[in-house]
Amino acid sequence: MAGRPPRVTKTEAIVLRYRRLGDADRIVTLLTPHRGKVDVVAKGVLRARSKLAGHLEPGTRLEVVLAHGRSMDVVTQAQSVEAFATLRADLDRLSAAMYLLELADRLTVEHAESGAVYRLLHASLTRLARGDGQQIVTRTYELALLDATGFRPELVVCLQCGEAVDASRASWSPLEGGIYCAECAGRRPGVSPIDGTVLKVLRAYQSQPYEEAGRIRLSDELAARIESVMHTLMHAVAEREIRSASFVSAARRARVRGEAHEAEAEARAVEAVEAVEAAEE
Amino acid sequence: MSPIQRLVDAFHRLPGIGPKSAQRLAYHVLRAPVEEARDLAEALLHVKESIVLCARCQNVTDRSPCRICADTSRERTVICVVEEPLDVVAIDRTGGYRGLYHVLHGVVSPSDGIGPEDLKIEELLRRLRDVDTEVTEIIVATNPNLQGEATSMYLARLLRPLGLKVTRLARGLPAGADLEYADDVTLGRAMEYRQEV
Repeated sequence: MAGRPPRVTKTEAIVLRYRRLGDADRIVTLLTPHRGKVDVVAKGVLRARSKLAGHLEPGTRLEVVLAHGRSMDVVTQAQSVEAFATLRADLDRLSAAMYLLELADRLTVEHAESGAVYRLLHASLTRLARGDGQQIVTRTYELALLDATGFRPELVVCLQCGEAVDASRASWSPLEGGIYCAECAGRRPGVSPIDGTVLKVLRAYQSQPYEEAGRIRLSDELAARIESVMHTLMHAVAEREIRSASFVSAARRARVRGEAHEAEAEARAVEAVEAVEAAEE
Repeated sequence: MSPIQRLVDAFHRLPGIGPKSAQRLAYHVLRAPVEEARDLAEALLHVKESIVLCARCQNVTDRSPCRICADTSRERTVICVVEEPLDVVAIDRTGGYRGLYHVLHGVVSPSDGIGPEDLKIEELLRRLRDVDTEVTEIIVATNPNLQGEATSMYLARLLRPLGLKVTRLARGLPAGADLEYADDVTLGRAMEYRQEV
């Protein structure tokens, strides 16, 4: 039986997402270092006593054994290597992780080698899980992912004339993924001025190693502006909305609302105490 | 299209019914007495025409407020938040819970385009803001998977500032499980929340 492909393969993988299949099964989308993105069938995982279910949650890095099926491979064994449990304990980190996973899913194609994307996703989940800043991890991930998938945005020279562009006078086109100098920008559709500080930070994130980029300190307001530029770019590249991005924002809004509410409650408590003290005097 | 084929196709659209099962069901109906077929048809129509969402807990019911919300013998200080109506059935079957429920009709799942605004969260907040509310604790009983965790943490973020105790169902080993096959997260939690025997 020479030349016959093996019936099972063992591979490392990160779970990107799953969807339901029939009563108790799921189709699980895995990102693997050598076989790219693959859809596999996990049988019986919706049953409480499934031996596979706990290992096949999105964001888990695992060792998996796949039996070759006619249309899709079937998971026969799964063993988690890293579950990144700390991600599941904090809503901001969890929503950021969901965003990383969705981007990896949107920007990769099935069965195409994607070792670079795999290593990048693994490194970024590790950074999020150990408590690195959500902004720096997400932004450097986005830019490195664009590099790895061939969508590297041009942030230094003008897309038209190729001359270096001064950050304070640059215009930005998310659709074309790059900047124009003031002269070439003219009245091009979809091109608008970009904040110089935002561009400088993005240039640093794109060119510096992660550890150095992480030393850049940003105000919340600047971080939000950078986030908005990158979300628009990712939307343009993926040619569809990245839905986890709005959940990242919803989670943040809920936190800000909660903090404001708590501060208000605290202020009221302080006022009440002061009123009592004043009355006693 | 022939009447039989129409019936086969209708069964085939049901979840978990393949083409062969659909054929078997259709031929069963064909051979069954006409009363049985009429009963089935009426039951199907009746369920669609009479079922509404309970104005309080959002569960499916034939009257609003539903039987659980209207039951005065149930505890009014605690609400168990679940993803789907079937989860209410599952929890109530245990007999160990006598409080109220709230059905979200889904779970936060960004990759499927479902955000918090698509769930019955606003309805829950409205219930809790009600001046007559006696609720002091919210038990979040979403599934112990990524989406379920995200939903529970999001709810906790909204509800804690209201001064409510927000709890989550315990996670651990299922009855009849095998330690060898347990995943790290489950086993870790089971160890963390171990109990004295």
